[in-house]
Amino acid sequence: MKQLKSKPFPYYVGLHSLEELVTRDSRVCVINILGGESRTVTPTSHEYSDGNVVAGVQYGRSGKLETERGDIPVYPSVRDAMKAGHQFDVGVIYLPPLAVAQAVSELIHCNDALKRVIIVTEKVPTADSRNIRVLCQEHGVDVVGCNCLGVANAWDNVRIGGALGGDDPAQTLKKGSVAIHSNSGNFTTTMAEYLLTEGFGLSTAVSSGKDVYIHFALPEFLYAAQNDPRTKAVALYVEPGGYYEKMALDMIRERKFGFNKPIVVCVTGRWKKDIGRSCGHAGALAGSGDDALSKEAWFDEYFGMPCFDPDNPQVSRRGVRVASIQAIPAAMKAVFEAVGEECDFEPRGDLNLKPWLGDNFLALPAELDLPLVTPLAPHDEALGKINRQVGAQFLKRNMRNISGASKLDPLTSVTSLHGTSILELSERSIEQNVYFTLARIEPLPEDVSTVNLLLNLFLKLEEGEIDAVRRARANGATPNAVLAAGVSVVGNNALLEESRQQARLIIDLIRNHGIDTQTTEFSDAFNADAAESWFVDRNGDMDEVTAFLLKEVQNSTKDCTALMVCQHILKQAAAADKQVHHLKAFLLAATAVCALWRPMLRKRISRQTVEDAVSYFYLIARQYAYGVVDPDGNKAWQKLTGPGLSGMGESFTQNAFRILFSRKAGREELMEFRYLIGLTLSNGAGTISAKGAKESVSARNNISMAYVGYLANTGLAHGGNGFEAVQFLMRYFADSELADPNLGVAEQKAAGLDISGLARRAVREYAEYKAEAKSGGAMRVKPVPCVNHPVFKGSAVNIDPREQYVRQRLEEAGVGNTFLDFYHLLVEGMFREGVTRNVFCVNIDAVLACMSLKLVWKPLRDGRMTDTQIQDLVFTLFLYGRTVGVTAEIIDHRDRGTDLDCRTPLSELGFVL
Amino acid sequence: MQISGLRYGAQLLGLVDFPHPEYLTGGADNGAIQDLLDKYGKIVVKPVYFSAVGKKGKAGLVRVVDNLVDALTAKRELYFANHQMGGRTVTANGVTFEAFIPSEIEVYFSITESTQSRMPIFSISPWGGVEIESLGSDKLHTTWIDPFMGLKSFDLTNALRDTGCPAEFISPLVQQLPKLWQLYNSYGLSTIEINPLRIQRVGGRYIPMACDIKASFDQDNPASKRVGLPDTIFKSDTTAFEQEINLLRTYQGQSDVLEMNPEGTILPFMFGGGANSAATETLGSRAIFASDFGGNPPYEKMYEIARISFQHHLKAANVLLLIGGKANNTDIYVTFRGVFDALRDHFAEFGPHPIYVVVGRGGPNLISGMVYARDILDSLNLPYRFFGYDTSMIMTLEYACRVDDWWQSDGRDKYLAEGSAPSNQAEVQS
Repeated sequence: MKQLKSKPFPYYVGLHSLEELVTRDSRVCVINILGGESRTVTPTSHEYSDGNVVAGVQYGRSGKLETERGDIPVYPSVRDAMKAGHQFDVGVIYLPPLAVAQAVSELIHCNDALKRVIIVTEKVPTADSRNIRVLCQEHGVDVVGCNCLGVANAWDNVRIGGALGGDDPAQTLKKGSVAIHSNSGNFTTTMAEYLLTEGFGLSTAVSSGKDVYIHFALPEFLYAAQNDPRTKAVALYVEPGGYYEKMALDMIRERKFGFNKPIVVCVTGRWKKDIGRSCGHAGALAGSGDDALSKEAWFDEYFGMPCFDPDNPQVSRRGVRVASIQAIPAAMKAVFEAVGEECDFEPRGDLNLKPWLGDNFLALPAELDLPLVTPLAPHDEALGKINRQVGAQFLKRNMRNISGASKLDPLTSVTSLHGTSILELSERSIEQNVYFTLARIEPLPEDVSTVNLLLNLFLKLEEGEIDAVRRARANGATPNAVLAAGVSVVGNNALLEESRQQARLIIDLIRNHGIDTQTTEFSDAFNADAAESWFVDRNGDMDEVTAFLLKEVQNSTKDCTALMVCQHILKQAAAADKQVHHLKAFLLAATAVCALWRPMLRKRISRQTVEDAVSYFYLIARQYAYGVVDPDGNKAWQKLTGPGLSGMGESFTQNAFRILFSRKAGREELMEFRYLIGLTLSNGAGTISAKGAKESVSARNNISMAYVGYLANTGLAHGGNGFEAVQFLMRYFADSELADPNLGVAEQKAAGLDISGLARRAVREYAEYKAEAKSGGAMRVKPVPCVNHPVFKGSAVNIDPREQYVRQRLEEAGVGNTFLDFYHLLVEGMFREGVTRNVFCVNIDAVLACMSLKLVWKPLRDGRMTDTQIQDLVFTLFLYGRTVGVTAEIIDHRDRGTDLDCRTPLSELGFVL
Repeated sequence: MQISGLRYGAQLLGLVDFPHPEYLTGGADNGAIQDLLDKYGKIVVKPVYFSAVGKKGKAGLVRVVDNLVDALTAKRELYFANHQMGGRTVTANGVTFEAFIPSEIEVYFSITESTQSRMPIFSISPWGGVEIESLGSDKLHTTWIDPFMGLKSFDLTNALRDTGCPAEFISPLVQQLPKLWQLYNSYGLSTIEINPLRIQRVGGRYIPMACDIKASFDQDNPASKRVGLPDTIFKSDTTAFEQEINLLRTYQGQSDVLEMNPEGTILPFMFGGGANSAATETLGSRAIFASDFGGNPPYEKMYEIARISFQHHLKAANVLLLIGGKANNTDIYVTFRGVFDALRDHFAEFGPHPIYVVVGRGGPNLISGMVYARDILDSLNLPYRFFGYDTSMIMTLEYACRVDDWWQSDGRDKYLAEGSAPSNQAEVQS
């Protein structure tokens, strides 16, 4: 290596004065310009710096980076940028650490005009950093970084290399006479902000980085600051590790270059003396003589002054050291006075404690109880604006194969929905689970009442609405297709859209006027806004449902801001002899918003979910209504879905049971029904039913089509397969004398039915089938339905913990199930007879089949149901549960997903002949 | 990432065939130790420390023995020997029995990065085996190394001649020492120090033997992983908490933590290297850890950092502190969302914990981030004060300390008695 040297340094320094470091004439090429960090920082820098980025490089790609100063062209290499005729003297590097040295080499070899390289990347290996040093020294290029935030020139409004000054650099980087050199990028900006409080602006600010190698270090900075006519003083932030500062001070003392401008320095990091590895800045690790105390001593000796005391502001003409950066403005003021200079402009603000936000329920002792202040402009306006926002804000991302709603535990195969296992959810009512699905939090008792009200109300069908459903069923459509037919027709009907608009208006009104539970009076402005949004002249009578809803809303005593507001609007309308526009939609929206207000404020759910809530309640209820197996023979269904307010006093779970079984459920039946629905809520986002919903959302369908997507992805292999187990059970029980499937084995025996004998017969028959199939050379013997599970097998006795859980809970409640007992005798018998090598598990699908069969046993025995109806009913039971669970996936994907995110990448596509 | 001693240093030296004495580990049986004694007459018993042992090395903890009884006695005494370095004590994890190498001289040799010449440098002295700082420039010579050329023989020769090395040892040293640059440069080292390097006479030849070694690795250099040393020897450097956080280490956003005082009462999320340095200093022993979560970490990373931090340390804390200056490019909304989502989920999983929250921050999307945090804290019914960048960061830290004192004395009890009951606070806007 031939070492270039620039006097007075024993190495190369290209810069003579700080004012030349970056200027209005600097032209920049940014490497990895489209990377995550550059993409957000570079446009701001470019706009602030009068459009000085002439080109960017994104290896292997071409394109552009859009900015308000015009597009920056992007090339696949530096060579291509040069070939395109771009000329630049500064390279900025945003690459991952291991690529940085290569990029420096490329910049140097492709561009003879290169003067400076600014390296933003952190965690660059020290070995690469030393190679960069050698390379740039050989070629006469100054380097700033690595791990820095670049350089800013406040006189020319130029910043290059990083985000100094943040997203609004002009706010902090005010023109002035102080030059900053800081080991911390953040403190570069923070010190600039602090200096404003004593009326000091900047000439140039350098974020040096604090790796082991600081390429633009203090000696050359002070040399350039001395030669800079704009700079009257220097502010430094220094951390332990390295001898750069000592070298600079020694050079001044030895008169290697003349330096007579005052310095205010803050050294921190005494605590780093005894640590063995770095935390934060890689180079801030002290050796034997370069710890914080040593550095403090170097400066104190240079200044001939102890540390600055704000209460007794003594400084020397050379400057002073401060204990923390908050003292820099006061020390700078004292230093300026000492050298007879004026500050740059009127001081702005102060650094005293000024809390912007605080709770208002816990009283603090007087010394801590500071009054809240309005944030600085423009944050005051931003706070006012954001205060009007409400609900969770989700990060948009690719949600293919990812869910923020359900999670399948690979060890237990138990799915949890919003963090609660479906075993737990299966003990709750449908309405509780519907609420939980939407709200992500547990319902209060009044929330359950609201959900019951809405769901029961939405069971009421319009005239002719069932026609599509009937036609589908008559054409042999499976239950999923029947439901899909009905839901497709719903689309985004006027009621749903109006309700969405009403919900939006209600939320806006509350947030715009800052209404909360402590509001006791409504302002005139609020009343005027409400009147403008809702009040219309009275126009005729309202229908029965609207009148019912109105009464519910008016009489509700629920403690909820949304309800309070809606009640007030209704009162105001009545007082003005007006009517609320779209009253039914308003009342539905008010009810739904009120139910979900609490989780929205807790940021559990998005505002969009609340606005869409009426649609979800409506579409869930409609699917239950369309699920009727025998509409003409089911009197209960006819009443529940017909005109009038029948069923409104019941729980939705009870009404759902009545739709399916055409009778009122007993206590035990209701319990089993809850398990049936709860256990099928979800089996994770990998199920094709969930994927169907997610893919439909990904195609930007409305909510009803998202449900159609899910329904289209169920079928005889997914959802309809429960019937296989029912058929298997029917083979043994159809001709039996089973009268009450609630009894246990011993009780059945007493009643004359030998369940063990039936199980032995089933074992024998299966053994014969298996032997025959094997002797016939069958590659795969068909298993007994619902016996064994891919996860729960391999032990001497295998148990599906989900089945075990439900069985135990039913036993505790004194609810028996003869079919399930039969299943257990079957798996034990299969092992005993050597048909299986161990005791197979009875899986959760068997529980569903046994419960379903138990519920229809009586009409089946009486010949009141056909096989097809049973098959449909078992499938519909699955759909009832899954509709609720898949609602969570739809909401989640709408909140977080992006258009077309469910596409399969080309790289994963195959082709076969 | 540091090592010292031959137990693992021999593996490192073996990578470039640098000679070192024959040695046995503490598990060697008596027969093997006796064989070593028979072969070399004397053996050196040294404790094994994972990681570094400070600049004074293992002085006072090395025994030279010439019989099995003494060797076993030394083993017993040194096996778990404590060693004081700076403010902390490290405990040995075994011993080595190393062949004693008779030598007329002891050489000191090191390579490290110099911030003065901004180059790698080597230092050499034929007066090694002692505290090297005490040697004058006539006995210790330092020269910079051209990274593209490596250690040059003439530089070594000149340095040895200038420091008075006997002529007969210069050539053997110059033949072997350049290997250490290869080791240093190829395996991601940031320091290597051999002291002493003793010179064994074998027949008519001299062979320099590295009798002790200290090395530290640049953890940002993937070449350091090629050495193949077991991870466990570096894990003693880090606590369980630090290890878990270290798994999140990427170049996108910082996730550096240093556990300072697990019994501390302030759980501090520090953003930026400067904030890390200044805040740790101001908080002192109250700080459970020092941290730097600046560099615009993505949401997922910030959430994981916070989740792990809460799992390990929330219980001990009186104050949750988020502190930083006016961020340049760290998105305050993203980072606050990560921290407070994790806090909310932690409460959901492990139940509430009474804690006061103090925030001092500036930067992009500041208000969005603060409001997000506020809404979650309101819903969790936790008390808080948020300061913007127009308040001194140090004053905010001092305020957090005063809140910590009050919380410890009666604030916590007051909160539990009056303030922690669920309420409709979530609906109250500031």
